[in-house]
Amino acid sequence: MSFLEIKDLSKSFGSVNVLDRVTLSINKGSVIGLVGDNGAGKSTLMKIVTGIHKPTSGSILLEERELTRISTSEIRLLGIEMIYQDLALARQQDISSNIFLGREPVKKLFGINLGLVDKQKMDKDSIKIIEDLGAKVPSVEYQAGLLSGGQQQTIAIARALTFSPKLVIMDEPTAALAVKEVQHVLELILKLKSEGISVILISHRLNDIFEVCDRILVLRQGQIVADVIKAKTSMNQIVSYIVGAE
Amino acid sequence: MFLKSIRLESLYVLGILIVTMSLLSPYFLSISNFLNILLATSVIGILAIGSTFVISSAGLDLSVGSVMGLAGVAGAVVMNQLELNWIFGILACIIAGGIAGFFNGQLVTRAKIPAFIVTLGMLGVARGAALLLCDGKPIYGLSNEFLFLGQGRPFGIPFPVIIFIVVALITHYILASTKFGKHTLVIGDNQMAAVAMGINVNRHKVKLYAFSGGLAGLAGMIFTSRVNAGDPTAGLNYELTAITAAIIGGTNLFGGKGSIIGTFIGALIMGILQNGLNLLAVQSYYQRMAIGAVLILAVWFDQINRQKN
Amino acid sequence: MELFMRFLIVSLTFISIFFSSTVFGKGHLTYGVLMKTLSNPFWGAMEEGVRDGSKEAGVAYYLQAVESDQAAEPQLNVCMTMLERKPDVMITAAINSTILLPCLKKANESGIPVVDLDGNLDHDIAKKAGVSIDFTIGSDNEAAGAQGADYVAKVLGRNASGPVLVIEGLSGNITGQKRARGFANRIKKIAPGLKVVASLPGDWDRMKAANITNDILTRHPNLKAIFAANDGMALGAVEAAYSAGKGNDIIIVGVDGNSDAVKSIKSGRLNASVAQLPYLVGKRAVIGATASLNGLKMAKFQFVDTLVLTKDVIENNTHPLMKFVK
Repeated sequence: MSFLEIKDLSKSFGSVNVLDRVTLSINKGSVIGLVGDNGAGKSTLMKIVTGIHKPTSGSILLEERELTRISTSEIRLLGIEMIYQDLALARQQDISSNIFLGREPVKKLFGINLGLVDKQKMDKDSIKIIEDLGAKVPSVEYQAGLLSGGQQQTIAIARALTFSPKLVIMDEPTAALAVKEVQHVLELILKLKSEGISVILISHRLNDIFEVCDRILVLRQGQIVADVIKAKTSMNQIVSYIVGAE
Repeated sequence: MFLKSIRLESLYVLGILIVTMSLLSPYFLSISNFLNILLATSVIGILAIGSTFVISSAGLDLSVGSVMGLAGVAGAVVMNQLELNWIFGILACIIAGGIAGFFNGQLVTRAKIPAFIVTLGMLGVARGAALLLCDGKPIYGLSNEFLFLGQGRPFGIPFPVIIFIVVALITHYILASTKFGKHTLVIGDNQMAAVAMGINVNRHKVKLYAFSGGLAGLAGMIFTSRVNAGDPTAGLNYELTAITAAIIGGTNLFGGKGSIIGTFIGALIMGILQNGLNLLAVQSYYQRMAIGAVLILAVWFDQINRQKN
Repeated sequence: MELFMRFLIVSLTFISIFFSSTVFGKGHLTYGVLMKTLSNPFWGAMEEGVRDGSKEAGVAYYLQAVESDQAAEPQLNVCMTMLERKPDVMITAAINSTILLPCLKKANESGIPVVDLDGNLDHDIAKKAGVSIDFTIGSDNEAAGAQGADYVAKVLGRNASGPVLVIEGLSGNITGQKRARGFANRIKKIAPGLKVVASLPGDWDRMKAANITNDILTRHPNLKAIFAANDGMALGAVEAAYSAGKGNDIIIVGVDGNSDAVKSIKSGRLNASVAQLPYLVGKRAVIGATASLNGLKMAKFQFVDTLVLTKDVIENNTHPLMKFVK
């Protein structure tokens, strides 16, 4: 049994079919590249995995647990994290609030849970997580929107790694970064793999895909048109799958 | 804890106002007058607290003035026509407000109608319901127990002031320090991020509008008790004053930023202005101009400050 | 098509039942009466007066109103429609001083005289717009204010001295201004020791009136009297004064004589209210219009008395005007 199993997954928005009976499986600790043209359905597929969209039909199993009927927060609790293309940061909130967004630690007051957020713990843990990533920020009480692009990326990654995930989905994580920062992200992906964490990488940059992925999936018009081992393919072949020449 | 949440700009305006008024009127600077100001601010202040929550989440509630009128009449009907105990009167006010807010929230989230339209509609519906409930005539003459809520002075402090301060303290901690408050700000800041991080945005918004409505009900209760009548025209145009107070207090009109202590100061600024102009017996036309000018001034200070950053 | 026509007729019937109450008298004269709204006891009493007045004068009338006293443009539309029925007189209570002028001009042009009910038109503005007003009938708001001042001077004594507060209506509203002015001018004349220390807008809002009362009590703890331009605000001031522990030291007077005010006066909280008598206004409007049609020269302004309601006046119930207090 695979770690993540997607079976016959279809999704339509009104009369538009975005995904058409997608079936795939992912093993523990592998890095999968997901490529395809704009509008091929990559982001929609991943948003169904994280629970933001619900599929029209089909199922998703994470270690044999059905995901399509539970909420985004429950899916996060099961260990699936996604780093969004736009980073999904709350720009007017501080760094630690962003890292713990949706999973703020609470402290009890006189033994009663009043939903009070444990800000001290949040700040302390945030500093540690950012240091572990080898990054620097002015202060964890700094507004996220005032940070540079690379720093914001760090916050989004830190948020995905804080609660020891089993699967991390990255949607175009390198699109807006400088060359040095790109290398940093790729190294991070390999580090996750070495820790047994699965990664799905969505990217237009085939160089990145070929550098870190074990397997490459190609989506075209909502269907999986290729599922190949990296060692047995070439960039040219992938390109022809993407544009539909093969 | 408090100091960090206060915007310096609104404190400047507050300081300038207090100094100016003290110089202009010898009656201004006294404890009894300060209690007066708080008393006059309590109803608007409580409405503004509800608005701060809603606006921080990038929403808008234009219905609070009408809802407060409806709530007050509902309370008066329960006590005077159904002849129930005053405690039921209080509950009726708050529940009526909460229900109106709940409907606002449901329409905003389920029917996906913009909040501006939903609450503008509720502004009309609630006012009409208030007039209908009492046949257009105020319900005058309430029980002494109920009147204590608006007119009593335990330890010399007007009871509405006590309610206002307690509500402000509790809601300050809710917005600044609880998960509920954090999520409110995040939803206003970047709703997609809130969805992606697993926050149930729709349910949260319904809670926010119901909360704002419930606070409007509380304000309606105070109004009704203070003037000893369930008045269907109560709260006419108060929504705009409440929003003004929230904005002066530093709430971002487009969501993501807001604090109750800021709104408290914003409401106080407007209360002091009104009180000072009354003490000086300034003609009404100037009063309107002054309040408008202070709104612009406070937001302008905020802009300058943000550009500096 | 037939079904559609039937539907149209039925709905038109319902609409006319809803918006108008048509009463046929025995005479051949028919008056068009246009009010602001009927969902208010003041206009209800006025309507009663119109009904009794038309019986007495032996004329018929048809009466219409709009849904609220804010619905200015709908009132103009209703006015235009009423003209289609060719009334012999138009008796109108305009929502503001200008909105009905186009309609009233058209009425004049068809030879229909115009009666201004409750004093909502400005004779100078109307003249410029080419409208000639036969006469205006209503309460004299300045006189009402003056009566309030007379009452205060009577209770406190003409030699009394001390501060007095005036609470105006919505800032810019002419009715509230007239009442406030009438009070201030008269009190200066008959009890010069009583000084109006502040005249502030309560916007017809009870709580604003209560807030103003608190503010002025801070500055003038020995406040002697409060005059508010309507009863709602006066009642707000009463609550504030009692809550500050000064309820028994301040004479508070309102204007209107509505049922809440009467209740409060009876229970000894509000001191007095200058009552308007809308019943009499309505009645005399119809009778006056008939007299004018019969060639009687009418004064341009017909003022209907106002009555100072106090606990004594209400309990004795012997004042000749008491029977017109509805």
